[in-house]
Amino acid sequence: MKMTVLKSTIAGMALVAATGAAWADKANDTLRVAFTKELENVDSYFNSSREGVVLQRAIWDGLIYRDPVTNEYHGNLATDWEWIDDTTIEFKLREGVKFHDGSDFTADDVVYTVNFVADEASGVKTQRNVNWMKSAEKIDDYTVRINLKAKFPAAIEFLSGPVSIYPSDYYAEAGPEGMGLKPVGTGPYKAVDVTPGQHFVLEKYDDYHDSPKGQPSIEHVDIRTIPDVNTQMAELFSGTLDLIWQVPADQAEKLAQMDQFTVSNESTMRVGYLAMDASGRSGETPFTDVRVRRAVNHAINRQELVDALLQGQSQVISTPCFPSQFGCDSDAAVSYDYDPEKAKELLAEAGYPDGFTTDFYAYRDRAYAEAIASYLNAVGIDTNFKMLQYSALRELNMKGETPISFQTWGSYSVNDASAMISQFFKHGSLDDARDDQTLEYLNIADSATDPEVRKENYSKAIERITEQAFWAPMFSYNTNYVSTKEVEYTPTADEVLRFTTMSWN
Amino acid sequence: MADVTSHDRLLDEITGPTPGQMLRKRVFGHQGLLIGLAVVVLLTLVAIFAPLLAPHDPYAQSLMTRMEPPVFMGGTWEHPLGTDHLGRDYLSRLIYGARVSLLIGAVAALISGLIGTAMGVAAGYFGGKVDAVVTFLINVRLAMPVVLVALAVVAILGGSLEVVIVVLGLLLWDRFAVVMRASTMQVRRREYVAAAQVIGASTPRILLSEIMPNIANNLIVVVTLEMAHAILLEAALSFLGLGVQPPTPSWGLMVSEGKNMMLFEPWLVLIPGAVLFVLVLAINLMGDGLRDVTAPENRS
Repeated sequence: MKMTVLKSTIAGMALVAATGAAWADKANDTLRVAFTKELENVDSYFNSSREGVVLQRAIWDGLIYRDPVTNEYHGNLATDWEWIDDTTIEFKLREGVKFHDGSDFTADDVVYTVNFVADEASGVKTQRNVNWMKSAEKIDDYTVRINLKAKFPAAIEFLSGPVSIYPSDYYAEAGPEGMGLKPVGTGPYKAVDVTPGQHFVLEKYDDYHDSPKGQPSIEHVDIRTIPDVNTQMAELFSGTLDLIWQVPADQAEKLAQMDQFTVSNESTMRVGYLAMDASGRSGETPFTDVRVRRAVNHAINRQELVDALLQGQSQVISTPCFPSQFGCDSDAAVSYDYDPEKAKELLAEAGYPDGFTTDFYAYRDRAYAEAIASYLNAVGIDTNFKMLQYSALRELNMKGETPISFQTWGSYSVNDASAMISQFFKHGSLDDARDDQTLEYLNIADSATDPEVRKENYSKAIERITEQAFWAPMFSYNTNYVSTKEVEYTPTADEVLRFTTMSWN
Repeated sequence: MADVTSHDRLLDEITGPTPGQMLRKRVFGHQGLLIGLAVVVLLTLVAIFAPLLAPHDPYAQSLMTRMEPPVFMGGTWEHPLGTDHLGRDYLSRLIYGARVSLLIGAVAALISGLIGTAMGVAAGYFGGKVDAVVTFLINVRLAMPVVLVALAVVAILGGSLEVVIVVLGLLLWDRFAVVMRASTMQVRRREYVAAAQVIGASTPRILLSEIMPNIANNLIVVVTLEMAHAILLEAALSFLGLGVQPPTPSWGLMVSEGKNMMLFEPWLVLIPGAVLFVLVLAINLMGDGLRDVTAPENRS
């Protein structure tokens, strides 16, 4: 009997010890967060997901930092910068900054990183983030110049976003593979445990420099990948998670009614739109007729979609870009009000009094896609609903085989209209409009250095695109962040979780 | 009174009941069969008369009245079973969903029945090389997991009602072939088959009028089993987003669409799940019952 008691006590203690790590919480100064998606590689140049951006902002720093609230640029690893000419920027670097592995941050690190990622052969996943840079050169230990391939007014925005600086010696040795498994940066958190498929553990970096990101307060962050939202919520209920994000609106609404959780909602830059094959790349299609495209615009009740489905901070969008982006002037856009009768009239004028049938493609948010398809059905446009994986739909898009599709674009949180309009309307493989007039405006806007000229030409492009109804822009997305009452966090409008600004209540 | 009873009993003993009387007695004495039959007939009628029965248009979307609860959870009689995530009437979608399920079950069972029976009867009757080929094909088919193959094919061809029916029809013939082959082998050694051969009946005539009527009872049982199987597989494919495509109401699709709200609005999943369960159970009960009734000597 005594033996049994002893045995069960030991077993119990072992159990407590084994589960202790998983049950860490405020008492252990460990914030437990869930990601929905698995990362291909933690190295931020070699993944293209939102979760990757979150880790990038925690582990690494860029030369410049954009305040997510005021949108002002501050020096981060650089203290000062200056345009030498249209294609050269000179940076004064911050002194005394150390990487997580103890090495000093100098001009060599910037030169190595920029030269590595700008080289197309290195295979950076999102080329648009880096392919505007030609090279970097060292002036002295704390002065560096970045040379651009051509004029690129959005350079500062990109340098404050996806371009982060890696330690030259370590990166040269470890490469993207090694960096992905054992990341080293200058950021507010260092990665102490990266176990792909299980979790990432971050630890506060005590020697973090005096950065505009602010000083981290929570000691540890434990991030686990849990693909199913219901499971995430169940764990939140049972107290094994402290913070979840990207929670769908309906569930967030229910969670908000519970006392023990804080639900905050923020807008994101992601815009949902219908892309139509105006140039007839997919063969004979009614969408080559501008009246049909306008009919589609009139058929959709955007306000109802926003009020009932997206909710939160989402807004009706009539521009082919997000209104906070530089150059994205909502006033320039021709907007189409919800008018199904007018849509039917336009269809009849275009020669489709009884409507027509088309393939309708979508890759995410099936509920939204179904609701949109249902609006089209109501005016006589019958849809063969086709839900595909993102990569499959993108491939079809590139081949020009989608007459109409429900798409979204998040602009990589780059606050410049070029990140969206120029991505899709410059006759690239994803451009179904192939409109010369639009291309002309965008070419001027993308390369001009005078902000006024840029603004004017983006406005012209927006007017042209909406007047011709190449797309049916619909709404912006929002993200719900749900945490226990113990966590203090104010989310920002760019869909990036910032652990640095989190603290315990 | 006693005299009459004993007299009747005596009479019964002498003449015995007719085969029709015996069948009727077995049918009405078999509860499972009756329940199963009643549910299947009821749901079939619902499917046929869906446009008359459904209170609303199953496709009519009303985003302002989303996810209203069913009447037994505080909802209104306007939507007796509530509304789904797009504000469509749940009862109407359920009623129209019966059409999809039964249509897929029936047609898939028909296609696979034709393929499987033809192969099985041929193998059982001719034996030899024909049998070897058919047995090989059955083994090949059994080695392929149905769900995986269906998923792959539907993923390549794209999901639609027709594709799902054809894919399931082309995949579910194995049990027909196995059962029909064994039954035919038993029957073809019977005297009446030999007699038909002796008087010079043609092979098709022997197969159709001597063999088929005597293995039909087994066929019916397999038909019901495969029908239930096809209905479940359709629901599974639709749940995975690869079956019937929205906005077509399918029970599997309804479960899938309700899944996200399972924690807060469990009835979104429970209602279509329960109906699916009842239909599949009823078809299985009916199949078991038919086997018991038509071939009581096989009952173990």
